[in-house]
Amino acid sequence: MRPTSSATNAVASDESRDLESRPDGTMTEESTEQRRSRRSFVFFGALAAASLLPRSARAQQARTKPRKPVPPPSMTDASIPPGENVAAFAEWDLTGVSRLVRRVTMGVTPGDMAKANQLGWQGYLNSQLNYTRIDDSAVENFVAQKWPLVNQVSDTLFSADSNQVESQLQEATLYRSSFSTRQLYHRMVEFWTDHFNQDITKVGYLLVADQRDVIRKNALGKFPDLLKASAHSASMMAYLDQNTSDGRPNHAPNQNYAREIMELHTLGVDGGYTQDDVAELSRVLTGWTITGRGIFTFNPTIHDTGSKTVLGTTIAGQTGAAGINEGEQVLDMLVKHPSTATFIATKMLKWLLDPNPSDTQIATVASVYKASGGDIKAMIRVILNDAWLPAAPMKFKRPYHFMTAALRSTKPTVASLASMNTQLAILGHQSYTWQTPDGFPDRIEYWSGNIMPRWSLASTLSNLNSTSTLAIDTTAYRAGSPAAAIDLIDQNFFAGEMPAVTRTGLLSYAGTATLTDAKVRELIALAISSNAFQWY
Amino acid sequence: MDELHDADCGCQEYNDLSRRQFLGTAVGMSAMAVFPDWLPKIVMSKNYASNRDIIVSVFMRGGADGLSLVVPFADANYYSSRPTIAIPRPDDTSVAAAARGTNLDNFFMLSPAMAGLFPAFQATDLLIVHGAGQLYVSRSHFDAQRYMEVGKPVDQTLVSGWLGRHLASIPPLKPGAPLRALGVASGLQKTLVPPPVITSGMYDTNTLPIADPTNFSIGGASATQTARINFLKGDYAGADEPVHGEALAATATIDLLKSVSFSTYKPQNAAVYPNSSFGRAMRSVAALITQDVGIEAAQVDLGGWDTHSGQDPNAGSMFRTMQDFANTLAAFYADIVATRTNVTLVAFSEFGRNVRENGSNGTDHGRASALFAMGKGIAGGRVITKNWQPLVRQNLEAGQDLKVTIDYKDVLSEIVQNRLGNPNLSFVFPAWTPTMLGVTR
Repeated sequence: MRPTSSATNAVASDESRDLESRPDGTMTEESTEQRRSRRSFVFFGALAAASLLPRSARAQQARTKPRKPVPPPSMTDASIPPGENVAAFAEWDLTGVSRLVRRVTMGVTPGDMAKANQLGWQGYLNSQLNYTRIDDSAVENFVAQKWPLVNQVSDTLFSADSNQVESQLQEATLYRSSFSTRQLYHRMVEFWTDHFNQDITKVGYLLVADQRDVIRKNALGKFPDLLKASAHSASMMAYLDQNTSDGRPNHAPNQNYAREIMELHTLGVDGGYTQDDVAELSRVLTGWTITGRGIFTFNPTIHDTGSKTVLGTTIAGQTGAAGINEGEQVLDMLVKHPSTATFIATKMLKWLLDPNPSDTQIATVASVYKASGGDIKAMIRVILNDAWLPAAPMKFKRPYHFMTAALRSTKPTVASLASMNTQLAILGHQSYTWQTPDGFPDRIEYWSGNIMPRWSLASTLSNLNSTSTLAIDTTAYRAGSPAAAIDLIDQNFFAGEMPAVTRTGLLSYAGTATLTDAKVRELIALAISSNAFQWY
Repeated sequence: MDELHDADCGCQEYNDLSRRQFLGTAVGMSAMAVFPDWLPKIVMSKNYASNRDIIVSVFMRGGADGLSLVVPFADANYYSSRPTIAIPRPDDTSVAAAARGTNLDNFFMLSPAMAGLFPAFQATDLLIVHGAGQLYVSRSHFDAQRYMEVGKPVDQTLVSGWLGRHLASIPPLKPGAPLRALGVASGLQKTLVPPPVITSGMYDTNTLPIADPTNFSIGGASATQTARINFLKGDYAGADEPVHGEALAATATIDLLKSVSFSTYKPQNAAVYPNSSFGRAMRSVAALITQDVGIEAAQVDLGGWDTHSGQDPNAGSMFRTMQDFANTLAAFYADIVATRTNVTLVAFSEFGRNVRENGSNGTDHGRASALFAMGKGIAGGRVITKNWQPLVRQNLEAGQDLKVTIDYKDVLSEIVQNRLGNPNLSFVFPAWTPTMLGVTR
C-alpha cells in the first residue's frame, strides 16, 4: 500500500538516532526488544488515541481534487473500509440519468444513454423494471441457436456432455448479461445467482433448471416466491446435501441446507436463530430430496415425523405426504420474519446503491419488503430513487461486470464467447464456480488487487478481430482525427464523462498522426484498463 | 529463540546495517570498523534478508475435520462415534497396511492420506496442535473465517487481517521490495488486508492477490508495453485507495515476476508438487522464496473441507483433499522448509466438525480442529493438546463437538513474535493476551 504520510519511517529514523547516541556501546538483545516494544507501544498507542476521533464524513459531493483527505489513523480500522466511500468523478453528472444508467446496466453504452435521456430518471427505471415489455427476442434467438442446452430439461441434460452443459450455461449467461436490453433484470439475475449460489462442479446439469426456473423466473418477482422455488429446486437440494439427509431413527439429519437457508438465504447470520434451530429445521426438512433425473420430491419414508421447535414455534410432526407441510410452514415463517426483510433490504441496498447503506435506508427498504410482501421491483424503485443515488459513493465493478461492460462498449461481432469465458476464470469470476454458498463477494477489498488480469483482458479483447471468436471493428475510430477517436471512446466507454486525466493520457498516447488499426486497439485497451472504467 | 533469531531486530536500519556489514566483510576487514561493536553478531547467509522468517499461511476453507486429519485412535469413542467413516488404527490387521493410520505418539495417528507429512513430523519440523480453533463460538463458515482472518472475533470495525497488520507493523525484509506479500488467489484474502490507512510508524504492505504468478502480464505488443504502463501509472496516480496502491504495485511487479523462472524451477530434494491448484500455488510460492525477490508472506487457500456428506476419509472425497494437502506440504517441506532455516508455514481451518457422523456419511459443522505448524524454528515432532478428554457426550461442546482448548491466536502470536520478529502482538491480534505454548524453538 502507498504511504499516506511522509512520516512512514518515523520509527526507523527515531531508532537509528537512539542507537547512535548510546554512550556505553553495550546493548543486550533483550534490551533491544524492550526498547523497541516500548517505542512501538508509544506509536501504536497514539494511533489508538486517534481512533477516538469521529470518522470522516461521507463524501457526497463531486471531488474538487483527486484525493480525499487522509482520515484519522485508527487502531481499530475504520468502520468504512477504503474504496467503499469513493465520491464520483468530478466529470460525472451526479444528478443526471447517467448515474442511474450505470447502476441499472452491466456497462453503460450510448444506446442506454439515449434511452434514459428520452425517458427521464423514473421513466427509464420503470422501463427496465417492466422488463417483460422489452423485446429481447434477438438475444434469446441467438442463445437458443448458439447454446441450445440451456433450454433443455434435466432429463435431456443428464445425458449431455457435462463440460458442454457447463460452458454453454456460462457463455449464454455472459451473452445475455452483455447484450440483452433487459439490463436491470440481468443485474438482478446476477445478484440472486450469488444469493442462492451453487457450484456447478458439484451440481452439474441440475443448475440449468435452477437458473431458468428459480433465478431467471423470479429475479424481479417476489422474494417469497424466489425462496420457495429455490427450496424446491433439485439443484439446491444437491448443492447443500439436503438430498442425503435422513430423518429415520438412528440417522442424524444433515444440517447443511437447514443452516444456510437461515444464515444466507433469509434471516442472516445475526438474524436470531440458534444452533438448536439449525438442528430442528434439519429435522423438519428431512424428506426434501431428489428423485429421478433432477426432480425435486418429498420422500415421507425418510421424514422425521416427531414434533419440532423452530424459532420458538412448535412444528407439529406430520406423517405421509403431509410431512412436507412442516417445511412449507417454516418457509412461510422465514419469508415473513423481520430479520429477512432487513437482511434482503440490506443486501439489495449494498448491491444497487452503497456498500454501507444507512440505518434509515435499510429500515425504509425493509418496510417496503414487509408492506409489499417482498416485492423486488418495489424495493428497487425505492433504492434507486433520485435522491439516494446521486449522494451514493461509486462502486467498484466486479470482474464479471467489468467483462460485460467491456463487451458492451466494444460492441464486437460475436461468434463464440468461449475465450471470454476462459478469461473470466483468469479474472476469478467465471459464473457458477464459487465453491461456497455465500456467492462471489461484492467487496472492493477482495477484487481491486487483481488488476493485472483486467489489463491483460483489455489487451486480449481489443486485439480480437476474428470471425470465429470476436471481431471488433475500428473503422469508426479511424474516420477522423486522434482527438475525434478519443471523443468516440468517451461516448462508447464513459457515457461522455471521461475523466480529464484519462482523456489527457489517451490524447498523449494517440499522438497526432493518423491512427492505425493497431493504435486504435491499444487506445481501446487503455480505456478499458483505466481507473474510471473500473467504477460504476 | 535460535541463533539466527537472537539477532533479529526487525528494523530497517538494522537490515541496512547488516547488508553493509556483509558488503564490508566482502571488501575487507577494515570496513568493519565503521560499525558499532554493540551490533549483535548474526549468522550471515547468502543475503541479509534471511534473518527473520518468511511466513506461508494456508487456510483450509470449509471446516476441516480434524478428527480425520489427525486421529485420536486410542480413544474407542472415536470409532463408536463414526461407524462408517472411521480410519483404521495403525495396528488394525484386518485391513491392508496402506489403509492404516501412521502412529504419531500412541494416541494420535496421521490418516493414510496424510502419510506424506510423516517425514516432517519425524524430523521434528512439523508440529500438530489438536483441539485448536477459535474460542469464540461460530458455526458459520463465513463468520468463523472472517474472525480468524481478521484476528479478532465479532468486531465489525476491524477490517484488516492479522497478516496485513503484521506486515504493516514491521519493516520490509527487503527494503524497497515492490511485492512483500501475495495471496495466491483471484481476490485478496481477508488475512492479508492491510490497515485502511498506513500512518506514521507503519509500513506499506505491498500486497497483491495473484492467482497465477507464472502468468502476470499486461499483454499486447511488447514494443509498446512501457508506454502503456506509463499511461496506467498516470491514470491511476489520482485513484483512491486501495485501487491506487494496488495498481502501482501491479505495475512494479511485472518485471519482478518476469525475473522469476517458474517454468524451469527445480524443487530441491527432487520434491514433486501435486499438479493440483494447491500444489501449483505452493510450487510458485517456493519459486518466489528461492529466488529471493523480497516476498515475506504468502496466503494460500485450500477448499473442499465442507464434508457434510460422503466424507469417506479412507478412499473418497476427503481422502483426496487430505492427500492434496499433505502431499503438497510434503513437497514444500522437502523443497523449502528442510533446506532453509527461515520459512515457517501454518495451516488451519475455521472449525472442525461434529464428533458423531450424520446420516449422510458425513459430519456437520463443529468446533475444534487440528492446526499445523512447520519450520526449522518450530518445536515439532509432537501433537500438543490442552486438557484433552475422551470423546464422550458429556465432554463435548454442546454435546457434539471437540472443544476448542487452544486458540489459534496463541500459536500465531508466538510465531509472529519469535519467528517473524514482530513484537507488536497487540496490534496484530488486538485485545488478545497470548499464552505462549512453546511452539517455537
